[in-house]
Amino acid sequence: MEQNVLLSLSHVSKRFKTELALKDINMTLRQGEILGFLGPSGAGKTTTIKIITGQLRQTSGEARLLGTDSANIDESIYENIGVVSDSSGIYKKMTVWQNLAVFARIWKVPRERVEQVLDQVGLAEHKNKPAGKLSKGQTQRLVLARAVLHKPRVLFLDEPTSGLDPTTAVAIHRMLLELKEQGMAIFLTTHNMEEATKLCDRVALLHDGEIVEFGSPQEICLKYNRNKKYHVLLAGGRELELAQNPENIVKITRWMEGDEIMRIHSCEPTLETVFLEVTGKDLNV
Amino acid sequence: MKSMDGAMRPAQMSMGKAAGRGGSLHKLAAVTQIKWLCISRNTMIMIGPLIVIGMVYACKILYGVRSEGTLVPFLTGMLLNIGISMNICAEGFIMVGTSIAEEKENHTLRALMTSSITGVQYFFGSILIPFVMLMAVNYIVLFISGISLEIVPWIPFFLVSAVASLTSCVLGMIVGICAKNQMNANLISYPFLMVFMMIPVFGNLSEGLHKISGFLFTGVMTGMTERLANGERYVMSALDMAVLFGELAVSILVFLILYKRNGYEKD
Repeated sequence: MEQNVLLSLSHVSKRFKTELALKDINMTLRQGEILGFLGPSGAGKTTTIKIITGQLRQTSGEARLLGTDSANIDESIYENIGVVSDSSGIYKKMTVWQNLAVFARIWKVPRERVEQVLDQVGLAEHKNKPAGKLSKGQTQRLVLARAVLHKPRVLFLDEPTSGLDPTTAVAIHRMLLELKEQGMAIFLTTHNMEEATKLCDRVALLHDGEIVEFGSPQEICLKYNRNKKYHVLLAGGRELELAQNPENIVKITRWMEGDEIMRIHSCEPTLETVFLEVTGKDLNV
Repeated sequence: MKSMDGAMRPAQMSMGKAAGRGGSLHKLAAVTQIKWLCISRNTMIMIGPLIVIGMVYACKILYGVRSEGTLVPFLTGMLLNIGISMNICAEGFIMVGTSIAEEKENHTLRALMTSSITGVQYFFGSILIPFVMLMAVNYIVLFISGISLEIVPWIPFFLVSAVASLTSCVLGMIVGICAKNQMNANLISYPFLMVFMMIPVFGNLSEGLHKISGFLFTGVMTGMTERLANGERYVMSALDMAVLFGELAVSILVFLILYKRNGYEKD
């Protein structure tokens, strides 16, 4: 196995009775990398996390996490991984501090680390507040703080910013990028393509349990940039979308020479449009 | 422990390995701390022991008004009977069952189980505080009932009280495993309450119920206190022992079967 590969899936498939939920999934996650699993609801994202973390057994193939076959994983694996999902609850009647302190006790984490993480997620001033009185965004930050409290080597995030306001989402994105810089490997499932483009080093587009595209967001977008187009705003407010052809190149050159172009953008596809092109379906289904 | 499809769920961690694993006491202590913080902040749960103690004390005062504070043995026995049955049943089932149901409702059980806590640690961490509280209330009820403490056989009382409280906690774990939320936990507790609380309580009123009561762990406990109230010495019979330990074993077995099937939380 490659040296800094912390997670690998090799030909993993999962069948639920008659339904094939995952089909021949192959991928790796390296230290200090954010890997995005992008797909609509029901595509198999959560099933994949469950297989990797040993909560579910695959029908075929091999999944290895931190060098251990997921079939042999026991609860001690959670000392080295963090999990954030929509079902990660908090103790509402305990204070923010107590919510982290009890988990710090489980992982034998010093109290200073609790303070540090509270600072990191911006909840230090709320530490004596009952967790039930936090807003949705603050609650999600508390869940994230708990997941990274023991400095896990791999962090699993299942739709971490789903339903959050843009400010909180940005704060969480910033924190994830910091964690990545510190060497944490992050496995992110989302159907938010902007989030994936912004955060992920590589993404896997998942459709009906199958990876239909895999690579860096830029690689994937450029690969599908077959019909190159440019969006042009001319002086006077006229907006045009021009395909790249000899005739339009002449036009654009002429406008440039005459200083008539106020704004010009290339129109390469986004991950969302790539997904639509590959699968014929929208990501936000 | 693996589930039926061979997978290990977070809410279904190994029951066997962890108990012997060195250095895991801090995790047990952490679960116990969590349970204490949850239980002590749950008014519905915390008010129970106070009601039991208050009710026994109030009844003793009220019944004793006519007899200048001295209760006839029948009344003392009845007070003890009601107090201990209510404590062991209502408190045991509800305290343990509701606290697990509350964790399911708030999705904290899953968070806990994905933090390297084992099934064994969760089991013992969940019943430790309720067990101590049940035992404490049993002794308080005994002291305030007005029974002559000189005839109390302390070791058998401790043993019967401990096994009955433990059985009640295991039944509470069964309630917790089966319940989806706190409301559901209360609903599931009722059949247990009807059998294990009401039969011993009304055992004095019907010969048939009295006989059935002898085959219940709560009945063994109340049988003992009735004898003590009547000034009789209590010697644990083979039947009492078989009932106490048999029902504890059956409860543990049922718990393990349910746990093996679904873990603490069915996916």
